[in-house]
Amino acid sequence: MSSLPTPSPTDSFPTLTSQTQAETEAVLLKHIPDGVEPLPGLQKNAHMQFLIRNLVQGLPTRYISQDASQPWLMFWTIQAFSVLQVGLDPGNKQRAIDTIMAWQHPDGGFGGGPKQAAHLLPTYAAVCSLAIVGRPGPGGGWDQIDREKLYKFFMSLKQKDGSFLVSHHAEVDVRGIYCLLVVASLLDLITPELVVGTAEFISSCQTYEGGFASASHPSYTLKGELLSSPCPPLGEAHGGYTFCALASWVLLQPFIVDQPTKPTMNIKNLLRWLVQMQGTEIELGGFKGRTNKLVDGCYSWWCGGAFALLEALGVGGIQNADSEEVPIDDPDDPWDDIDDGLYNEKALQEYILYAGQHPAGGLRDKPPKNADAYHTLYCLSGLSSAQHHVFPSTARRQKVESAWEASPDTPNEALRKRVFTSILSWTEDESTSPSRIVGGHTNRLNATHPITNLTMTHTEAIAAHFYKQTVPPRSRKVPLPG
Amino acid sequence: MSTPAPVPIQGEEPTIPLFAERPEWADVVPLEQYEGVNPLAPIMYTPVYKDATNYFRGIVKIGEKSQRVLELTEAIIRLNPAHYSAWQYRYETLLAIDAPLDVELKLMDEIAVKYLKTYQVWHHRRLLLTITRKPAQELDFITRSLTADTKNYHTWSYRQWLLAYFNDEDELWTGELDFVDAMLAQDVRNNSAWHHRFFVVWGCGVREGEEDRERVYKRELTYVKQNISLAPNNLSAWNYLRGIMEHTKTPYSTVKAFVRPYTLPIDPTSVDIVDLENPPPTKGANLPCPSAIEFLADIYEQEKNTLEAIELWTSLASQHDVIRKKYWEHRIRDALEAART
Repeated sequence: MSSLPTPSPTDSFPTLTSQTQAETEAVLLKHIPDGVEPLPGLQKNAHMQFLIRNLVQGLPTRYISQDASQPWLMFWTIQAFSVLQVGLDPGNKQRAIDTIMAWQHPDGGFGGGPKQAAHLLPTYAAVCSLAIVGRPGPGGGWDQIDREKLYKFFMSLKQKDGSFLVSHHAEVDVRGIYCLLVVASLLDLITPELVVGTAEFISSCQTYEGGFASASHPSYTLKGELLSSPCPPLGEAHGGYTFCALASWVLLQPFIVDQPTKPTMNIKNLLRWLVQMQGTEIELGGFKGRTNKLVDGCYSWWCGGAFALLEALGVGGIQNADSEEVPIDDPDDPWDDIDDGLYNEKALQEYILYAGQHPAGGLRDKPPKNADAYHTLYCLSGLSSAQHHVFPSTARRQKVESAWEASPDTPNEALRKRVFTSILSWTEDESTSPSRIVGGHTNRLNATHPITNLTMTHTEAIAAHFYKQTVPPRSRKVPLPG
Repeated sequence: MSTPAPVPIQGEEPTIPLFAERPEWADVVPLEQYEGVNPLAPIMYTPVYKDATNYFRGIVKIGEKSQRVLELTEAIIRLNPAHYSAWQYRYETLLAIDAPLDVELKLMDEIAVKYLKTYQVWHHRRLLLTITRKPAQELDFITRSLTADTKNYHTWSYRQWLLAYFNDEDELWTGELDFVDAMLAQDVRNNSAWHHRFFVVWGCGVREGEEDRERVYKRELTYVKQNISLAPNNLSAWNYLRGIMEHTKTPYSTVKAFVRPYTLPIDPTSVDIVDLENPPPTKGANLPCPSAIEFLADIYEQEKNTLEAIELWTSLASQHDVIRKKYWEHRIRDALEAART
């Protein structure tokens, strides 16, 4: 960068928000490359070491605060390996499987640790971890998931307004719905009974800003019938909830197509809100999670990753473009004509590379914070999604569809087929990737599935197993050397 | 998503004797969490935490619900307030032994302030309130919590839940608009407070005295314009303006005269005028303001004045809001497409 970016305007009217913002900008400014030192690359080795330390030596005592999130600690760690293009050795894989299976609750679902109550969030983390390290057969984890009890657990959490409690006696929120829908979609558990009303609930969580809140508050008639309004969102638009709501919405599309009256979402407002979450030059183009809050590396995934999901709704992506290009040409910017994204992917990559990496390994919210397992994964996943264009491909969908082996005795055959084909239609557009990667090929990460945040391979393998389908091979280009 | 980073245990670990050393717990068989598994990525527990959770697992196994379970779960919650199973079991125990819930709420007053960022402390309160049904004193408590952390997501959602669930005009709702005013006067950029305002005025039904919606809209319009004039580069206020106009289906063009001065460089020759209808930017404002340019472009788009809209989007893309260049180009493509069909 030639000149230093300007601080955010304060209109000569400082408040607590603008003061905190200015302090953050002062720190971030020091992480903008000076043009003299070589540009920082992705320190893959240092991050690997950080992850290996957590995995093998164990997590430091301060992680007691996440003792009820053990499946998450596992998922963040081993999925970060996958994004870094590294797999576990067979011995550690088996140890991981055995650890994960100790979290399964005897009445269905997974808890935050052994003998903890079942909860939707750790259930997602446990099942996705099994997608990475597990396998079919005895001791492999996949066939030891009690799907019948899991389904009953899901149904026991369902509320009248289409939402779900995250656990018994616990709160309702869209994170839980996302987790439930990913697991149910991968394990072939989606039924009309399970998801009826859920899309309407999601829709009611959209706020006037365009993003989504944690939940909404239903109203009922005296007789107990659900009213369509008032149904106010509880809490403001938020990046994490928005990702979960949008991904749920995409997962629910195979069900929604059958509905006579379809729930709606204001996509235009959602897109506007999402792009507004990207920080400016002085924030190195990182994302924030709410209006007037600070940038944080984890929103690289929750907000940055959400743009791919919009493509499933017809917004953005070359496959959705049906008009001529009108780029505002900048001869100095080789990025100008490369792709058709809707946010600044280049700047987001720079935020993660320049500010998101902790010098001692692992990734973080922002400097000068420490690295942790959560931020390491979501910074890496966000970076990966900015590097790759993964989109719902019609051609791929047709291919998966035509390979579908019908089992006429199974209920909901048509719905199951739609769920399976749409989740597996996501495809990486490999032609654009090399030129999109800031810092070149050495910074390249694996692409992840925009909905599950697993790699495409892991998503495909576990879904194929539970739907008892054979997935047609992908036509891959020969990977670049290195 | 709110509290992902591991947090150090606050202060020193409490110096309570281990449950294993207490005679009154001798009848409970503590349970290790992993049996026959050498776990991957284990947490390095402190002896105190390991001891308490071993006894908790032992208690859950035999299904005991008693006074001492309250002591045990409190100990765990103080060590790890996100231990949702301990909260869940505590709640079931409170009901099972018919414990006095006002005592529980008093304890929660202390615990909630200490662990503001935990989902469970707020949800536990909700569960208690649905039984005690005494919401009035909660508002003060929430206001105090918000002083410590003005944008806490859980605290704001809890306040909104309380208002929506009990929906009591006289006890709960009367002071709510004044409360929002006070919060916004403290920090006009607090988006949580703006969202709360939307909830209070538009989201949760029509309150007593607010039946004349046209009057309410005018009041809100004046309010948000005043706040924009105070600090124009405040996305929260612009979003509120958009929100109320969309909610009431008012065309954006009705505020064109107000918006335009914010899209231009500051006018050093202007004199201080009091225009309540269209308050001008203050002297210290940083202009032109990208949110205003965006708004004016949307006005033009609604008026089908595509060329003027494109000119503004182009200025955002190349000068005033370069980071969102691709989005502004997308808006241009969309508008051209719409104009063609």
